[in-house]
Amino acid sequence: MVTNVLLCGVGGQGIITASKILSEAALMSGYAVKKSEVHGMSQRGGNVESHVRFSADSPVHAPTIPTGEACMLLAFETLEALRALPQTSPEALVLVDERRIVPMSVNTGLAQYPDDAMQRLEAGGRHVHVVPAFAIATDLGEYRAANVVMLGAASRHLGITSEVWQEAIKHSVRPRAVDSSLKAFEAGLAALAGA
Amino acid sequence: MPQRTLLSGNEAIARGAWEAGVRFGSGYPGTPSSEILPALTELGDAYTEWSVNEKCALEAAAGASLTGARCIVTMKHVGLNVAADPFFTLCYTGVNGGVVIVCADDPEMHSSQNEQDNRNYARAAKAPVLEPSDSQEARDYTALSFRLSEQFDVPFILRTTTRIAHSDTPVILGERDVPERDCEAVRDRQKYVMIPAYARKRRRAMHERTLALKAFAEETELNRTEPGDGKTGIIASGVAYQYAKEAAPGASFLKLGMTWPLPEAMIRRFAESVEKLYVIEELDPIITEQVLAMGLAVEPLPQTLQFGELSPTRVAAALQGEDPELSGDSLPPRPPTLCAGCPHRGVFVTLRKLKAYVTGDIGCYTLGTLPPLQALDTCLCMGGGVGQTHGILSACGKKDKEVAVIGDSTFVHSGITGLINIAYNGSPAVVCILDNGTTAMTGGQDHPGTGVTLSGRPGRRLDLPGICRAAGIPNVEVIDPRDLKQTEETLKAAMASDEPWVIIARCPCVLISRDRKPPYQVDQEACIRCGACLRIGCPAIAAEPTDDPRKPRPVIDRSMCVGCGLCAQVCPQDAIHVAEADGAED
Repeated sequence: MVTNVLLCGVGGQGIITASKILSEAALMSGYAVKKSEVHGMSQRGGNVESHVRFSADSPVHAPTIPTGEACMLLAFETLEALRALPQTSPEALVLVDERRIVPMSVNTGLAQYPDDAMQRLEAGGRHVHVVPAFAIATDLGEYRAANVVMLGAASRHLGITSEVWQEAIKHSVRPRAVDSSLKAFEAGLAALAGA
Repeated sequence: MPQRTLLSGNEAIARGAWEAGVRFGSGYPGTPSSEILPALTELGDAYTEWSVNEKCALEAAAGASLTGARCIVTMKHVGLNVAADPFFTLCYTGVNGGVVIVCADDPEMHSSQNEQDNRNYARAAKAPVLEPSDSQEARDYTALSFRLSEQFDVPFILRTTTRIAHSDTPVILGERDVPERDCEAVRDRQKYVMIPAYARKRRRAMHERTLALKAFAEETELNRTEPGDGKTGIIASGVAYQYAKEAAPGASFLKLGMTWPLPEAMIRRFAESVEKLYVIEELDPIITEQVLAMGLAVEPLPQTLQFGELSPTRVAAALQGEDPELSGDSLPPRPPTLCAGCPHRGVFVTLRKLKAYVTGDIGCYTLGTLPPLQALDTCLCMGGGVGQTHGILSACGKKDKEVAVIGDSTFVHSGITGLINIAYNGSPAVVCILDNGTTAMTGGQDHPGTGVTLSGRPGRRLDLPGICRAAGIPNVEVIDPRDLKQTEETLKAAMASDEPWVIIARCPCVLISRDRKPPYQVDQEACIRCGACLRIGCPAIAAEPTDDPRKPRPVIDRSMCVGCGLCAQVCPQDAIHVAEADGAED
């Protein structure tokens, strides 16, 4: 059984670091693991997607998730959550930061930001939870750690021990960001305690 | 279980090269190949460099190879076009130390101007191609290819694609093993001097070599069959193999690690062992056509499969003879944009105002073509815009609006020759070098204009104004593109002139300098909703809806604003100011 986690948002939100931490944690847990993302032009404020796939008992072949098979979506922006939704399974767990980053197509009047994004996210019957990762990280004094807040929120659904998460964070972020990242992870974990 | 390390394909290639005792690494940054040389530099022990361009990189490697050094040269797919001249003839001379050319194709054009399939070079140049399908194979094939390059006396192409280069998968590492070499350039004129008389002999030697490579392809473990149900047989390589394994786990597979030359006998045996034979490959039907030419029946696939990136889902559909169009959503697109505070923005805002016809180039600034800036009219290749503006002026005369824009790294890569052509042939071209002091699009690599080398050794910094003057350009001005008044005055003077001009718009890339000044905010009382600030295309300014849909309210996101102040310069009401330190959010 392969666990497929899709992370999405806007370039600059730390999605690539979050997927690195997650894939390292899966590796440290002894799982088969693959991660895939795109660098370069798409990072300049465009939408960013990272695929992380891992499994304890079967091989992982493709580095990208087959359409409709992501069992978890970690979305750092509301519109991007909506865009990625068709890639998730009908029972998927969707964690979304209800943040609104207006794309240039809206600024230039070529398109409108959907007002009903949250309703449309919930309409498909998936398990949707709002994780105000950016706000939580900002409260902690380091808005750049929103990516790790989101991982903390996701962590109780991923079957990876807290010791492994801590190791993976230490391995994946810059030394001076380790403490703030560990705090952000705990805050994320607490944020979704009820879900 | 042995220790596994999660590596990207690019890191794994660097590791494989390091373990094989590589002594020389060169290349030019290009997505998705850019991380290989920095990773190799980090591992140490080898000489590495960012070369001026891919041609320089390969020529230097050809020289280093003469001494017996193992050499790796990295580039994106289009980089091999630049290096094609030395490449083709290097396949005649062969090598002394093994030479591996990594070229990274970009199916889907995530960050490229075309989708060429570089396996096409193999047949044209008679160069063998290996295609890894994950990071472990990227490490293994790289290490092996140096030995094979020496055994068969030919440079090897290691062809990756975006989903190999930028996917992380576990790798079991090995130790570094440096072969003993004399470290002196070998002298063998009949082999290394390609005058016609000697080249004709080498052409025959190449043929013998290709026959030997074909025999090798039949027996190497790089190519393997994986038994399955015997009904569906799939020939695949690279990441397409992984997609096909996902889509048809029960099928029989012929997994090709070497895709030129092909193992013909092996393919025939495999075809006989299955009921239906499929070839799953990304981009051009190169293997397919060779298998068809063998007289074997291959199940036809939709031709649209040749466009873009494959996926497990697309391959599953293809095995049913389908390639459904993805139903596009109606959501607002989010294309990439110039960063908040990007120094290129001032130039494009001005070019738009002056209604310039802008021949563009390859780099972040190509984004100047998108709304709302829409101030870049062509993008062809590295250095192309400099040549194009010269062609426009030479064919039809000056209409006082033609401007070429080119980044600093791109100018050094391929713009200098075009500039000399302008001076020599005397067109009154205006070339604007967008000098942000880095190779920004690919992640901020140094180049001759920065004077810092890949290994961190200080290098000699190229004097950009000096080289333009030396090329014969009489008017060379350096401006600050964040000063809109100066930018407009200089561009106007240049565009009206009957002499060639170079304008160097110099201001560091915001991603490199991390120069954050206090953010700005909009005084909503003074703002008349004219939209001037929204039209500079800054991602830190959002258009918030108001009662009048034609007059949205501009709001500056303080976490994104770097305080460049360009929006304040275009505001006709002077309604944008530096935010109070603890002022209310606007």
